[in-house]
Amino acid sequence: MTLWNLIKHSLHFYWRTHLGVILGVAVSTAVLVGALIVGDSVRYSLRSIALSRLGDTQFALIPQDRYFRSQLGDELQASLRTAVAPILMLQGIVIHSASATRANQAQIVGVDERFWVLGHADVPFADGSDDAVILNESLAKHLGVAAGDNVLLRVEKPGLMPRDAPLATDSDAAVAMQLTVSSIISDTGFGNFSLRANQIPPFNAFVPLAWLQQRIELPGRANALLVGENAAQNLTQEDVDEAIRRHWQLADAEIDLRELPQQGVLELSSRRIFLDPAVAAVATDIVPNTLGVLTYFVNELRVRDRAAPYSMVTALGLLNATEDGVAGSTLSSEGLRIPPEDMPDDAMLINTWLAEDLQAKEGDLLQLTYYVVGPMRKLEEQVRQFRVYGILSMDDPLSEPGWMPAFPGLSDVENCRDWEPGIPIDLDNIRDKDEEYWDSYRGTPKAFITLRAGQSMWENRFGNLTALRFPLTADTRKTVVETLQHQLHPASVGLFFQPLRERALAASTQSLDFGQLFLGLSFFLIISALLLTGLLFVLTVEQRSEEMGTLLAIGFPSSRARHLFLWEGSVLAIIGGAAGVVGGILYTKLVLYGLSTVWRGAVAGSVLRFHAEPMTLLLGGTLGTLAALLVMMIHIRRQTRLSAVKLLTGSYRSDENPLIPTPAIRQISFWVGAAAIAAALLLVGLVGASKDRGAAGIFFASGSLLLVGSIAWSRTLLTSFRSGTDGSSMTLAGMGLRNAIRRRGRSLAIIALLACGSFLMIAISANRHDPLEGIEQRSSGTGGFALFGESALPVFHDLNTPEGRDAYGLDSVELQGVEFVPLRVHAGDDASCLNLNRAQTPQLLGVKPELLGSREAFTFVKIMEDLPADDPWLLLNRQLDGKTVPAIGDQATITWALGKSVGDTLLYTDERGNTFPIRLVGVLANSVLQGNLVISEDNFLNRFPSGSGYQMFLIDAPSQRIDSVSQMLSRALQDIGLELTLAGERLAMFSIVENTYLSIFQALGGLGLLLGTIGLGIVVLRNILERRSELALLRALGFERRSVQWLVLSEHWALFLLGLLCGVTSALVAVLPALRSPGANVPYRSLILTLVIIVVSGLWWIWGTTRLVLRGPLLNALRNE
Amino acid sequence: MSHGILLELTDVCKRYDSPGEAEPLTVLKGVTLQVASGDSVAILGPSGSGKSTLLNIIGSLDHATSGCVSLEGRDLTELDEKQLATIRNREIGFVFQLHHLLPQCTVLENVLVPTLAGSTAIPRDKTEGRARRLLERVGMGHRLMHRPGQLSGGERQRVAVVRALINQPKLLLADEPTGSLDKEASENLAQLLVELKREEGIALIVVTHAQHLARRMDRVFELVDGRLIPLQTEEN
Repeated sequence: MTLWNLIKHSLHFYWRTHLGVILGVAVSTAVLVGALIVGDSVRYSLRSIALSRLGDTQFALIPQDRYFRSQLGDELQASLRTAVAPILMLQGIVIHSASATRANQAQIVGVDERFWVLGHADVPFADGSDDAVILNESLAKHLGVAAGDNVLLRVEKPGLMPRDAPLATDSDAAVAMQLTVSSIISDTGFGNFSLRANQIPPFNAFVPLAWLQQRIELPGRANALLVGENAAQNLTQEDVDEAIRRHWQLADAEIDLRELPQQGVLELSSRRIFLDPAVAAVATDIVPNTLGVLTYFVNELRVRDRAAPYSMVTALGLLNATEDGVAGSTLSSEGLRIPPEDMPDDAMLINTWLAEDLQAKEGDLLQLTYYVVGPMRKLEEQVRQFRVYGILSMDDPLSEPGWMPAFPGLSDVENCRDWEPGIPIDLDNIRDKDEEYWDSYRGTPKAFITLRAGQSMWENRFGNLTALRFPLTADTRKTVVETLQHQLHPASVGLFFQPLRERALAASTQSLDFGQLFLGLSFFLIISALLLTGLLFVLTVEQRSEEMGTLLAIGFPSSRARHLFLWEGSVLAIIGGAAGVVGGILYTKLVLYGLSTVWRGAVAGSVLRFHAEPMTLLLGGTLGTLAALLVMMIHIRRQTRLSAVKLLTGSYRSDENPLIPTPAIRQISFWVGAAAIAAALLLVGLVGASKDRGAAGIFFASGSLLLVGSIAWSRTLLTSFRSGTDGSSMTLAGMGLRNAIRRRGRSLAIIALLACGSFLMIAISANRHDPLEGIEQRSSGTGGFALFGESALPVFHDLNTPEGRDAYGLDSVELQGVEFVPLRVHAGDDASCLNLNRAQTPQLLGVKPELLGSREAFTFVKIMEDLPADDPWLLLNRQLDGKTVPAIGDQATITWALGKSVGDTLLYTDERGNTFPIRLVGVLANSVLQGNLVISEDNFLNRFPSGSGYQMFLIDAPSQRIDSVSQMLSRALQDIGLELTLAGERLAMFSIVENTYLSIFQALGGLGLLLGTIGLGIVVLRNILERRSELALLRALGFERRSVQWLVLSEHWALFLLGLLCGVTSALVAVLPALRSPGANVPYRSLILTLVIIVVSGLWWIWGTTRLVLRGPLLNALRNE
Repeated sequence: MSHGILLELTDVCKRYDSPGEAEPLTVLKGVTLQVASGDSVAILGPSGSGKSTLLNIIGSLDHATSGCVSLEGRDLTELDEKQLATIRNREIGFVFQLHHLLPQCTVLENVLVPTLAGSTAIPRDKTEGRARRLLERVGMGHRLMHRPGQLSGGERQRVAVVRALINQPKLLLADEPTGSLDKEASENLAQLLVELKREEGIALIVVTHAQHLARRMDRVFELVDGRLIPLQTEEN
């Protein structure tokens, strides 16, 4: 005989009661393990999605609005000895030709076979299939197309110069193509390729790279380079940085060098028209006597009443002149240096053609009129006066068209009347002689001014030079090229790699921990299951109190007896834990099913795959087992503290004599209750009918106090049942109620469990809000805006002006009362609750803070300390230390998606590869801006000067015309893929996530409470078993079975209903503001249904247990006694 | 039969506090008793007279409010719970009115349960042999593998007696051992207790209502109003 044998025999002998304990442990462990596996599954799914969207891609070079040689990919591939794929990624719109269904936010990707290598996918293009497009499944499903269908692709056509640049045209901003869908590829076929960390599959349309390059007129160019992993050697950031530093060429920075032997110069220009400041800064110092050139298209040159329209004017200046040296091109035919050293900044050299046209002579005052382009391409006509300094012959070497950069819409047209310079021109003003000038001299400048004068008028964020001219010698080209390649950091022209894979994995691993979330949501369920385990175990232990007494009596030290029971309990806990692990797997599958159906709002419709880490199973199983063991230990300890005699005789059951509670206990519970209830009433009285934000918190505190008070008073109430000893008013129910205080602790536990459970259920469910309530107010989450718009292609014009509206064919009359707040967009991660990944660099929005500030749009819940709070939007204009940029974000974005708080900083990389911090200075209440961080437009353009146009819009519209305005805008702006959503709908979309969490809590909490009612049944069982002989005595005294049942039922039903009453009334006070607020969206039906189920379940378990236990021959209990 | 003093009770009192303002209830009022090794004592008394309380105090299952209980010269009131458990296990054997056998164990296992409480004086490999011998001795040799549920009341009580003797105690305490048995079984058990007492050389204290059992003891006392009153036995 050994202890283990004894344990084995006990396990075998008491298997029925043990089964209940094992089930209890299994349920609590299953919920615990399940919650953790849900976390595993979400992490695994996000990781799988991240890997499937990136394939083997480790690093990516994604310069903004820049196009490098796709040949660079081959060079890097050879250098890094790994797959490198150049691609063209453009925003676009895809339209199903047959049904006209549109996908406005599509990603058009030009790829070749190197791309598919990264995705381990077969090349899906057939040879020569130039008019073929491959769609990914999500896009095909959205459009409802199949292979063989025709689709229309409308793709952003990159301009030679940034679209926001002066003189840039937007007339050819997009190109449309009719294509046939050749196949549809899934995520395993690399169909969900995306650079953004988001679990929602993108809309992808793949076309052959070379074909797309031709169609957008950028042959041999790409705008993204994907570097795959090197199987032999782990590529590091240093490796790829070094490789790009060694292999980049000037052409990759869109820099052109051309020798002009006639002028004796080497000219450096940019396809982007304006030289990047970084390029200019390095280039100006390479060779002495470099000539800076800034050529501009002006509206008018006028002397008195004579005017010449639309001319080129060139500003020239030596940037690093030596005393005697001059650049060839600055010498006139007479060998004079042009502009002369002594020429003042308000002077101008004009050519003879202009002099004759204007009848101007030296010393005349000449008026120059030109446009400058402000934000939203707002044109401002400015005028400056110059004194005619001299007149150049048309034969002079300086009079050449090469000064004019390749302005799109100008340099490439034959006739003046075909000009499309990107600024409004009046073709009627163009005279025949102007046409003749264009025919003879093309863009030859009619006037020259000093560089200083030119830059003071025409400098913009894209640069202040259109060319640099170096004196041409045999070595000039070599020197310039080598110096630029050596000194110019490729990052400064956007050529830098980002660790895409690392970020993607970080985004998935640091994602919202669904394990923790579900642990929180299932907390009440776990506690209820543990409580049930404890109740079942204590029932077992109490049934065997005699055995324990015997062991103590025959000399088992209490510690040894305790260990004996504990070992037995451990076996049960381990079996239950193991069963719980299996149950947890099933529970997870059930939860995942819920998350793909009724709770899909919580994961924004993502497809989650089941995955369980062995360590999670082990951890969950162990935790569940240990929690159950702890519960058992508490009960065993309590039992082994009793003496052997009490255990043997069972006298401990009647030891507690609650019929005579000590006055102190009664008084304490009374006064605690009184104080809590008084405080609750006082708080409610003070806040009264207030509807402000703080009131909700105070009411919740009042409700909580009321809960504490009502539980304390329940204890007092229990003790008051002892009265009535004169017998005159004695009833059966009264006797039952008096029984309730025999086990005061147990009775109070029932009340507290039900009170707390129902309180939590109601209080949390009532937090559900209707996001559409009050959306017309500026302080609401919509900011008072009626519509929220996003466009696939940028809008370059100010839609608030008649000119801007004209540019898109919008009718100003119809748009009366409609106003736009445009926002610039720097693409980044979606940091809203719809993205399960942890956003690494949220999308940045650039806005004019005054536009939101003047409207007092949105509500700020927090502002950084020490900053003025009177106009929080203007904080975006504030100068913070160093390079720090102030930003404002939505509460869900900052707190949940980023895990940050106000005052924290995030690091971003600007388009030149420089890192800069963004500090969160303000937090908005739940809003339509969720998912983004907002900075000022000035800071935006400073960091991302190439970012042209606006792609997001907050739109005010008269409430009665929202639909018609929406339809009109969608129709007029369909070519740029404007997608309009009612601002309230967008807000509601975000609220779905929160409301779904509340639904999950309600369901799991309800399940927990339901489990609690089963526990109630066990308490009833314990109470009856303890009093079996008393009840038998009643039967012996002539009580009918029904009367005895009623005695038991009245006691337990009273406790059950008292618990519910305490919880429900306290909760109603707590949620009063939510109930009476117009936006309340309390799920009355499901809440009432849950409560009804709980009441019915509780009453049934009490009734069922009572009936079951009292059904047997009760009188035997007397004989056993 | 008297040898050296094994158990000595000196002026033992036991009081229970009553609820509220009521006077405390004194069950034992200065009980004094000496029991030598090999001695047998019967304690008679009406229900509620405190017989079981006295037996529990002797067996260290309960504490005296005042007075001294010493076993082989050791004052039990001075010992902690662990030491008392060791004494109960090695030096005292208990037989209760209800057998309190573990239903999940066989007869043999039930007998051996006390050997699991700690290290016993008898080497473990010998305990089973002793259990078998004792069970054989009480006529239960053929039911070693039966469970308590398969035994009659008398048989269960015999097993309980063997369980009490397994660790070779010096003192056997029996609380109404025949209380739940019929006459024949009761007679047999009484005879068995006396024989085993003699064979094992132990002292025996029996609390009982049964005159036939009391008569077999060397000395008989009656507990009246909390005091032990010596009575003559029939033999004497």
